[in-house]
Amino acid sequence: MRNSFIIPRKKYLFSMFTKVWLIFIISIVVLLNVFNLFVVYKNSDYIETAVKTKNERIKLEKEIDDIDEKIGFILRQKAVAEEIYANNTILKDSMKNLFDLVPDQITLNKIIMKKDSLIIYGVTPTKDTYDFLLAAPLKSIFHTSEAIFYLTDSGWFNFVSTNKIINPEGSE
Amino acid sequence: MDKSMEKVDIIKLLLYLLIFIVVSLFMILIVIVPNIKEYRVSKSVYKKAFVHKMRVQNVLTDRDNELRDLSAKNRRAINSFVHKFSTDNFIKYAGKFFNEVSLVEVEKKEYKKEFIEYELRVSSSLKSPTNFYKFLEGLNRYENIIQADFPIKMESNESKISSAFTIKVYDINATK
Repeated sequence: MRNSFIIPRKKYLFSMFTKVWLIFIISIVVLLNVFNLFVVYKNSDYIETAVKTKNERIKLEKEIDDIDEKIGFILRQKAVAEEIYANNTILKDSMKNLFDLVPDQITLNKIIMKKDSLIIYGVTPTKDTYDFLLAAPLKSIFHTSEAIFYLTDSGWFNFVSTNKIINPEGSE
Repeated sequence: MDKSMEKVDIIKLLLYLLIFIVVSLFMILIVIVPNIKEYRVSKSVYKKAFVHKMRVQNVLTDRDNELRDLSAKNRRAINSFVHKFSTDNFIKYAGKFFNEVSLVEVEKKEYKKEFIEYELRVSSSLKSPTNFYKFLEGLNRYENIIQADFPIKMESNESKISSAFTIKVYDINATK
């Protein structure tokens, strides 16, 4: 039996007004959360990339150390090679100078060349020839220069000239 | 019909507005702002790490170029140190300047930690001292690093000069 003159209105849990507001608030919350997740993702991405970059940098630094070591070794090889080449040139010049020093009148029989001494065995027509032509330049090079003479059957002199450089630091 | 949209309840509107503001502020101030601060810090940490890496990378490139340049300029010295000393090859080389060349190993010792020094005594005969100069000149272009050294002994015997001198051969010390 019908007791009312009007048809009952449909009742909703939430009114339209409330629904609109709820949708609006939830949308904003979702949007802000999406933005927040993006920030969190970028943040962790930067942290991860920074660690990766740091590890790469450490690897590069190690490579630099290795290269420095190689450069140092090449420089040491270069220095040793140059020193040896220079010593060979000095030795060649010393030998050349020695033979240039000997005048035509004097004949050399034997030479013993050490780092700080030179012993010359030879033949000279006269002692004066030796004194003027060989002893004088030898004395200008060496600290001590002594000669012993032996008269030969032909009237010439065999001589042994001992010349030394006194190295105050000691010969090494 | 729902007439809530036509008749707006001011109290409800204010209440929803308040909820909206509170929720939004909570999200922004409590959640997003700290994360943005962290993001800024981690971004600056990353940028610093990147700049540092780029500087190191540039240094590495420079050093690498320097190494290549040095290797190219000193290729002969490097190869000479690596080249194994051969007595046969040396006798062959010395034979161009001397006759009757013989080699005797005297001593082998460490030289400046990274190198090995072999000392050998060379006995030979030659016609003129000029050959000795030429030998010394050629030594600086030899396949190994070799130094001619004292004591040098030369003695004339009729038509030739017998000579004896020391050579020092330098190799890389493989144990270092």
